[in-house]
Amino acid sequence: MSIPGPVSPEVLSVRGVSKAFGAVQALRDVSVDCRAGEIHALVGENGSGKSTLLGIASGFLAPDDGIVEIGGSRLRRHSPAAARQLGLGIAYQDYSHVLGLSVAENIYLAVPADARPTYGHMQSWAEETLAGFKLDISVTAVTGSLSLAERQLLEVAKALLTRPKVLLLDEPTTALGPDAVEQLHTLVLEQARAGVGIVYVSHRLPEVLAVADRVTALRDGVGQGTFEAASVSEEGLIALMIGRPLQVAFPDRRALPEEAEVVLAVSGLRGERFGPIDLVVRKGEILGIAGAEGNGQVQFLRALAGVEHAAGRASCGGTELDRRSPVGPLRAGVVLLSGDRRGEALFPVLSVRANATVQVLRRLARAGVVRRGPERRAIAELVDRLRVRMGSPEQPVSSLSGGNQQKVSLIRPFLRGDVKVILAEEPTQGVDVGARFDIYEALRAKADEGLAAVVKSSDPLELAGLCDRVVVMSRGRIVEEIPHHELGERRIVEAIVGSRGGVRAVTDDGEGTNA
Amino acid sequence: MKRGWLPLALMTTLIVALGAYAEARQSVFLSQQNLNALLLEAMPLVLVSMGQACALLVGGFDISVAALMTMCVVTASFTMTPTTSGFALVPGAFALVAVGLATGVFNAFLIRVLRLPSIVATLGSLSVLEGASLLLRAYPTGPINSDVTGALTTSVGFLPVAFIGVVALAVFADGWLYRTRTGLALRAVGLDATSSRRLGMSTGRTVLLAFVVCSVMASIAGFYLAAEVQVGSPIIGNQALESIAAAVLGGASLAGGKGSFFGTMLAAFFLTEIDNVLPLFQQPTEYADMTIGVLILLALVLYQAPELIARFRAAPVA
Repeated sequence: MSIPGPVSPEVLSVRGVSKAFGAVQALRDVSVDCRAGEIHALVGENGSGKSTLLGIASGFLAPDDGIVEIGGSRLRRHSPAAARQLGLGIAYQDYSHVLGLSVAENIYLAVPADARPTYGHMQSWAEETLAGFKLDISVTAVTGSLSLAERQLLEVAKALLTRPKVLLLDEPTTALGPDAVEQLHTLVLEQARAGVGIVYVSHRLPEVLAVADRVTALRDGVGQGTFEAASVSEEGLIALMIGRPLQVAFPDRRALPEEAEVVLAVSGLRGERFGPIDLVVRKGEILGIAGAEGNGQVQFLRALAGVEHAAGRASCGGTELDRRSPVGPLRAGVVLLSGDRRGEALFPVLSVRANATVQVLRRLARAGVVRRGPERRAIAELVDRLRVRMGSPEQPVSSLSGGNQQKVSLIRPFLRGDVKVILAEEPTQGVDVGARFDIYEALRAKADEGLAAVVKSSDPLELAGLCDRVVVMSRGRIVEEIPHHELGERRIVEAIVGSRGGVRAVTDDGEGTNA
Repeated sequence: MKRGWLPLALMTTLIVALGAYAEARQSVFLSQQNLNALLLEAMPLVLVSMGQACALLVGGFDISVAALMTMCVVTASFTMTPTTSGFALVPGAFALVAVGLATGVFNAFLIRVLRLPSIVATLGSLSVLEGASLLLRAYPTGPINSDVTGALTTSVGFLPVAFIGVVALAVFADGWLYRTRTGLALRAVGLDATSSRRLGMSTGRTVLLAFVVCSVMASIAGFYLAAEVQVGSPIIGNQALESIAAAVLGGASLAGGKGSFFGTMLAAFFLTEIDNVLPLFQQPTEYADMTIGVLILLALVLYQAPELIARFRAAPVA
């Protein structure tokens, strides 16, 4: 499988690395190496362990097992500072900028001590530095005022300023339009010719294959082999990225009437990280939102629910939603199930009962006092129906498993009689296989009752099995819509990695690249 | 960094305006004697506030400083008694600084190693120190060496030497904060700890240093408090909230990464001036507290006006 005979010295060598976060095994015995002057692509689905692997290589995370060698020396102390000293540069997916400082100050902090000019010359030095990368960014600007594309290019420039032997790029093009991607790739190729080893993590296969020498695929935290880029096809790589040992069952879909009533209509909705977006969701329909992480899917859902600000129009049942706060959409029957269960969806220390009934207390109260009897009866049936596994409705919701926590938050739309749209963000994240089916079934049951649901998920298999239709988002826009009869895990992954013709043709002038 | 001047300008204006008003009402205000007394009276708050500014810069609070200052006064009543003389006073003085160092390291340990929020951690140390002070001195007793207190209040004309010292220190510290790499690193850690760590900075050491400096400054403030009360009083220090107020009025952000030592110093002088001026008008001291409160709110709104305006423009809901 792997390529024989090292041509150049290895500048990065990760051997037998494993890492678990709690019960989740993020990486299992993964080995990757990168030679001087090579561009080594690392591909995999969301959650396949790419970012964890980079975190370990860069010293930000300590592995449970295995070793990291940078420039031939072993990384003994797991800290970003130690990795930098050995010659590793990294451009983080979510950046390493201190947003409150100026661009010049950020560049200054990014370079090693011996490469820094005196403090007084910082500005002119920073200007020259940016000009060297052909970046047109004002060095006196506060970094927080830059567009996402500018931040992303600055992040790569900062990583290069450490004069690394090996450079790690974590999804460096999520916020970039085609021209900027081109600019970045020119820069990366230049560096590779100068002898820098580059590890390029991306889910955009055509982009990354255009520049890579070798490719390593990851799936569920396990390496799927390393190949010469010229010798693999996109189809072959996709086959390595997907495919799952455990099959999950999905509830049956009912055929939707051709012209069912439109429940949710969105037109020209645009926020800081997405848009403009137009779509409709019909009565009884479950619409899936696919895409690589960070392409605006979450922000779009949150904007619909009034949690984030966005311009444009969105209506539910024909009435325009008042999205200035979450109250408006909620009153109109639009319920968001946040993916951040502990932080947003639930009150972790409160009981299952309190969490389930919090939105309908008025109905369960007489003269302002909640009556426990009706409250218990109201949730008892749903607890059974959704198969929430717990000792007692009085135990704190934080003591339940992730799946059961999610089911508790799903009780809420069942209790409210007025829900028209459920917006679910990663409804089965951290949920075991058995509980997943219960959640799918609950969502499908609500749809059959005449609701509309929008499910954002990073799991293509889940979207393919659960949804009636899936839209794929990239750089904040819908780039493809997959109708029911075409739905399949492979079809969705192909759309996400943009391997089908036409996807890249959707131009992107958004995200403030012109700002 | 243009807006960094706003707190300095505001504080200077307020100090001068209040002084002019007081002088117009009661001509004793600008007397050399009153000015000297005012400057000396301000020393404990000035010193502890500059320390507090360090804690705020890394995004924390230190409310244990009040009890630490009390502890230092109580310690002084044991280690710097009127009968101690000459060289024996040196270890006595070091004892105070040692108390500060130990408290700072303890606070930093709670915050960095045990991961307690700084406000909770220092609330704990506050109670421990308060209790310890009361154990050592159940009531104000134990006179403090007057040679030491005399030396601390030495003045050139009406200007206390200590005043000249803190002005120099504040100028130097601000120069360091805004004109050197390490100062920049401190602000970066306060603004965004994750990014700073990614850039290879040792955030743990920065936080440790900030809290140690804060406590040591509080213990030096303790010397001046001791010089003021001259007796081992277990219930004297109450500058915790005032020191945070001074740092904020001086331009510090509660979210960390912003602040000015010179501005903090000016604000501490201003807060003391209010206390000093009100008796001249025969106004009850309650007005001083209320004035300070209102001023802090106004100053915060003023300092954040650009951000507030921007936010309201961007989104009708915050």
